[in-house]
Amino acid sequence: MNRRDIFTALPAASFSDELPGWVEGFARWLIQHTARNAPPSLSQRLEEEWLADLAAQHGPMARLRFGLGCCWATRVITHEHYAAKVPATSSVTGHKTMTAYAQHDSSFFSRRTTTFLLIVCLHAVLIYGFATGLAHPMIEVIPPPMQAVFPPDPRTRNEPPPLPPQPQFSPRRVEVPDPLIPLDAAPDTTTIPPQEQLLSPPTPPKVVNRVLGGPGTGFPNTDDYYPSVARRTGEKGTATVRVCVDDKGRLTAHPTLAQSSGSASIDEGALKLAQAGSGRYRATTEDGRPVSSCYVFRIKFELTD
Amino acid sequence: MSLQTLRVLEAFLEDPTDELSGADVYKRSGIASGTLYPILLRLESAGWFVSRWEAIDPASAGRPRRRLYRLTPSGLSRASEVFASFGKGVLA
Repeated sequence: MNRRDIFTALPAASFSDELPGWVEGFARWLIQHTARNAPPSLSQRLEEEWLADLAAQHGPMARLRFGLGCCWATRVITHEHYAAKVPATSSVTGHKTMTAYAQHDSSFFSRRTTTFLLIVCLHAVLIYGFATGLAHPMIEVIPPPMQAVFPPDPRTRNEPPPLPPQPQFSPRRVEVPDPLIPLDAAPDTTTIPPQEQLLSPPTPPKVVNRVLGGPGTGFPNTDDYYPSVARRTGEKGTATVRVCVDDKGRLTAHPTLAQSSGSASIDEGALKLAQAGSGRYRATTEDGRPVSSCYVFRIKFELTD
Repeated sequence: MSLQTLRVLEAFLEDPTDELSGADVYKRSGIASGTLYPILLRLESAGWFVSRWEAIDPASAGRPRRRLYRLTPSGLSRASEVFASFGKGVLA
């Protein structure tokens, strides 16, 4: 692969598929090109040796790095080769050797510039490849030519289909029999009683014997829920709480404060006591039957000796 | 003697009878090719190494022949002296 092939193949390369192959080809070309610039006695050997070692590298980046390294190796080898040759031959053919070294050195500068430009181009290609996404081809599908399709004008549509023909009904003659009851019968003289006479007498309202519930047997003692702060400060008071209790005497909602005692700690203790008494409430009864209800009761906290 | 040269010699001293290609030394020493091959040629011209082409048929082997390097007896003794003077800990 020569230089022209390298650079003409580059734009057409599909980065996702051909990049590894292109990089390997570039590395081979780099080695072949740079080995030719090595001293003639080493040129053939270095090219063959480096190409063989290039094949032992795994991965396109490793091969590219290897090829670029060979460029640098050529420079060093060439420099050392001619530098070592100068003092040994300067006494006899010093002029020729120095000329060769000078020519090679001048061409080396050009090669170094070329290598630098190649590295810059390679970086640009890689950055472009990463920016555009290596996994996707540059042009996925060439879209077919566009064709304009005009829908039919709704104003020129055909007339709606004709309605089905109306069924033809033949008039049917209906025979009406003569009434069996003579129309000249005497009118009914039955009198209708007034509305008030039809209504039943009003029933008396039902009286329900309702007994409100309250704290029942086993309800917690106020001494157990006396707030410690209130006990230390000697506070006392009566709070009114509202509870909702089912027919088993259990709370169906959290107790709420219906009337404050004037002390926050007493109120808090009253609510805790009311909550703790769930299941110990006496349910409200209606005609002796326990029912769910809500009621209020007072809780009095007072200090005893 | 540079550290890279010592690393190349160390790669050969793992088994002084081994014949190593440049790719083998590259793997063992981790030195880039731009530094490795000038060292190999320098040591070869100094008589520390000898090299030969691998005796294979590239067509049947499916790969090109490699250039193999081997320590000479004098290169081995001089390399041993170098490491003895520096101490193995230098490379660790």
